[in-house]
Amino acid sequence: NMEVLDRLPEPDCVKLCHRLVDGLCGREPPCRGEYGATWSLQEWAGLRDSLTALFCRAVGSNSADEEVLAELQKLCSRHAHAVLNVLRSRRREVRLALLSRTDCMSSAALQDFDWSLKLALSSDKISSLNTPLLSLSLDVRENGALRPVAVEMSKEELSALISSLEAANKVMLQMK
Amino acid sequence: MRFRFCGDLDCPDWVLAEITTLAKMSSVKMKLLCGQVLKDLLGEGIDYEKIVKLTADAKFESGDIKASVAVLSFILSSAAKHDVDSESLSSELQQLGLPKEHASGLCKSYEDKHSALQDKLRETSLRLGRLDSVSWRVDYTLSSSELSEVNEPLIHLKLQKQGAESGCSETAAFSISADKFRVLLSELKQAQALMNTLQ
Repeated sequence: NMEVLDRLPEPDCVKLCHRLVDGLCGREPPCRGEYGATWSLQEWAGLRDSLTALFCRAVGSNSADEEVLAELQKLCSRHAHAVLNVLRSRRREVRLALLSRTDCMSSAALQDFDWSLKLALSSDKISSLNTPLLSLSLDVRENGALRPVAVEMSKEELSALISSLEAANKVMLQMK
Repeated sequence: MRFRFCGDLDCPDWVLAEITTLAKMSSVKMKLLCGQVLKDLLGEGIDYEKIVKLTADAKFESGDIKASVAVLSFILSSAAKHDVDSESLSSELQQLGLPKEHASGLCKSYEDKHSALQDKLRETSLRLGRLDSVSWRVDYTLSSSELSEVNEPLIHLKLQKQGAESGCSETAAFSISADKFRVLLSELKQAQALMNTLQ
């Protein structure tokens, strides 16, 4: 069903492919409204899905250019090369997107984090507490839902955490 | 009258009343009782049998024993809370009617344990989500259904923290990509550097 791409002039085809890669990488994907005159809903959905799948497959299995062209043989050669050029120039980005999908495969993954440093001044137990505390809030994506995790650390607890993470970092550096 | 060891407030009536109970003991026995109460405040445990023996001479009933432990516990922890020096505490207690020998005995014990007591109070101050332990594992991802050749490390972290109620702990386990992990580590180090400038 990819042959319907031929209906689009070549520059527009390049633009569409770039925007499909954008969507793959988590930015705004192209919307059907802009192509309503060219394709029916069914054609649009089919084309979008098969082009996206083609990009993922080509990067995922590291296909050579000839293999990609072979999959695009139903298109006219100019369009096929246009699609190939988009793929070539954005291989790295697609790889990063697939990499982050790979990293998120386990049930819970860290999405984002924030920290703030506070000086605790006083408490019901002691009038001048003057203890610095670091709040670390983690957004963990678990089964599709975000779960906030908040921890509060004193100076000693923070340095214990850092030295623990440092040990993991050392292992990571040795891998390179 | 306002007292520094009460946080510049009036002395509670019950404290005033029980100071006369303390005065019924000998100053030596009261100082020993002080030692037991300090042990309790520092979390080292209190020996009730010893306390019964210490108060036997003064013919204390169980109500008096409880009251004297409570009043000593209040005086010592409140003085440490408001960072009162032992001399001021001694003169304030004498103003409240505690005999001089009793006051100086109490203040001697207080002075010895002053900083330990404050450390303990600092440690037991309210903390939300105290971090208990960290476990990690580094994986090397070779291949996945999305990418045939991945060859990137992936870090798994497990953080154990104290829950909202004391005694229960909560666990958060998650994975972090190598890039995110480096950012997390370097930001934590920045925070640590800032924290070190605070003290």
